[in-house]
Amino acid sequence: MALIEARSLGKTFGSHRAVDDLSFTVRPGSVTGFLGPNGSGKSTTMRLMLGLDSGDGQTTFDGVPFASLDHPMRHVGALLEAKPFHPTRRARNHLRMLAAPNRIDDRRVDEVMEMVGLTGVSGGRPGKFSLGMGQRLGIAAALLGDPHTLILDEPSNGLDPQGITWLRTLLKHLAAQGRSVFVSSHLLQEMALLADELVVIGRGRMLANGPVHDFISHSSLGSVTVRTPDLATLGPALEAIGASVSRDADTVVVRGATAEQVGDAAHAAGVRLHQLTTREATLEEAFLEATGLSEEFRGVGGRDDEQGGRS
Amino acid sequence: MIDALRYEYVRLRTIGSTYWLVGSALVFQLVFAVLIALSLATSSTFGGGDETFEVLATIGGSTGAPLVMAYIVGLLGVFSMGHEYRHGMIRATLTAIPVRTHVFVAKVVSTAVVAAVTALLCVAIALATIAFFGLDMPTTGAFVEQTVGIVLYTTLFALSGLAFAALLRNQTAAVAALMLVPSLLEFIVQSAVVIIKTNSDDPRGGGGITVILKYLPYDAGSQMFVQSSVDGLVQRAIGADPFGAVGGGLVMGVFVGALLAGAYALFVRRDA
Repeated sequence: MALIEARSLGKTFGSHRAVDDLSFTVRPGSVTGFLGPNGSGKSTTMRLMLGLDSGDGQTTFDGVPFASLDHPMRHVGALLEAKPFHPTRRARNHLRMLAAPNRIDDRRVDEVMEMVGLTGVSGGRPGKFSLGMGQRLGIAAALLGDPHTLILDEPSNGLDPQGITWLRTLLKHLAAQGRSVFVSSHLLQEMALLADELVVIGRGRMLANGPVHDFISHSSLGSVTVRTPDLATLGPALEAIGASVSRDADTVVVRGATAEQVGDAAHAAGVRLHQLTTREATLEEAFLEATGLSEEFRGVGGRDDEQGGRS
Repeated sequence: MIDALRYEYVRLRTIGSTYWLVGSALVFQLVFAVLIALSLATSSTFGGGDETFEVLATIGGSTGAPLVMAYIVGLLGVFSMGHEYRHGMIRATLTAIPVRTHVFVAKVVSTAVVAAVTALLCVAIALATIAFFGLDMPTTGAFVEQTVGIVLYTTLFALSGLAFAALLRNQTAAVAALMLVPSLLEFIVQSAVVIIKTNSDDPRGGGGITVILKYLPYDAGSQMFVQSSVDGLVQRAIGADPFGAVGGGLVMGVFVGALLAGAYALFVRRDA
């Protein structure tokens, strides 16, 4: 099972630094989510990892660069394009073509076709496939060599809810077998369910790297909700320990302090508490907070305007 | 390297364009060879077996007409690399075979083999037609010389298509280049030289600007199978001295080799 080690990855397009000094590790037995706003350099990073783009740094798979792997699909399975196939070459033949140089036999081709649910259309021309079916064919190609490492760029694109659930189950199952799974996605709720670890980038730079729970718990958007009849006393007591307090009817939303700290402060101030509830930030909230100043492309209206068009 | 060739073998066998392009070249050859043979069987247009074979094997190419089979098979060369870029296959290909030199060389080898085999089959069709209609067979020397010329020209032509596609990374532009450079661009250069030369003080003298005509790669390469043509007469009339089969073949070979070298240099360096 392979340890992916990316070290000092960098890429410049003209005067634009698309990826800047990215280093991270993807461990066997885990799903590592790769998050970042549009244009933040996720796809470029994945291409750099596989030697498809030239740039700075190096990525190794158990110490070996991708280009030096013998029969690479047996080690690393990759999905980088939405529909990476000739529209008139039959789906099964597309896989046979990729299998041939990696010495993978036709039986395995049929196995992965069945795994992704395309057996019924294995003789079909992918040009007529839906985006979801095309994505399944791409996933089948990534699984062809039964690899110990998977690098998947937006694999859930175009999948219906059943497909997304299937993909989540599959990837978690593969990780549970000890494989390394590195996957990018814009579906943050899905990523919250899928990933064990996160690599979060913005404008090509590392913003966060570590377990999903750590990323979420470090968000300042987590809060403690308190209901008390002694609001006038509790407010100053919480502000005294550095927490920010906002009042909402008979409750107080406290940020910057844990439930334990709030309880201790209330006890010390002789305040009665009728409710003490911790609310963790969602991955989406934590992500938006982390990448707020790192969006490459920003529209007009919606969140930007609501937040005063911060820049 | 063997793995990359396995990829190319399956790629060629599993795509419809391989069959319809090779099939089109063979059907074209058969239909026109039969039509020409029918005409020859009832007339004595050509002098003997050698000339009959030359005309049938090239479907008139030996008299200066375009070698149509080369244009058809040339598309296989374009598609070999063009499909990779047009359909976003290149990244999937390079994750299956990450050594780019192997990918490029395998494409060159597979294109050359298919082009050469197709050209040989076209020659075989010409011979079979001659036999079927009871026409005179060529001498061994003429047969070998013409066959080598046709096969080499067709192969180099197809490889130039592959090189155009690799250089341009655009299948449509590569097809346009392959069709227009030999036919239109070289024709424009030839016409310009003829006009300049005929309006000069020495319209029949050798050297000078007419030297350009020797180095037009596709025209020079056609000397490998062209026996007599109007173009050749015009060129000689203005003092040009075209290369023979060997010299012309070398000019085309160097041109295609340079195209492939440039395409390879970019292929191994460019982002996929």
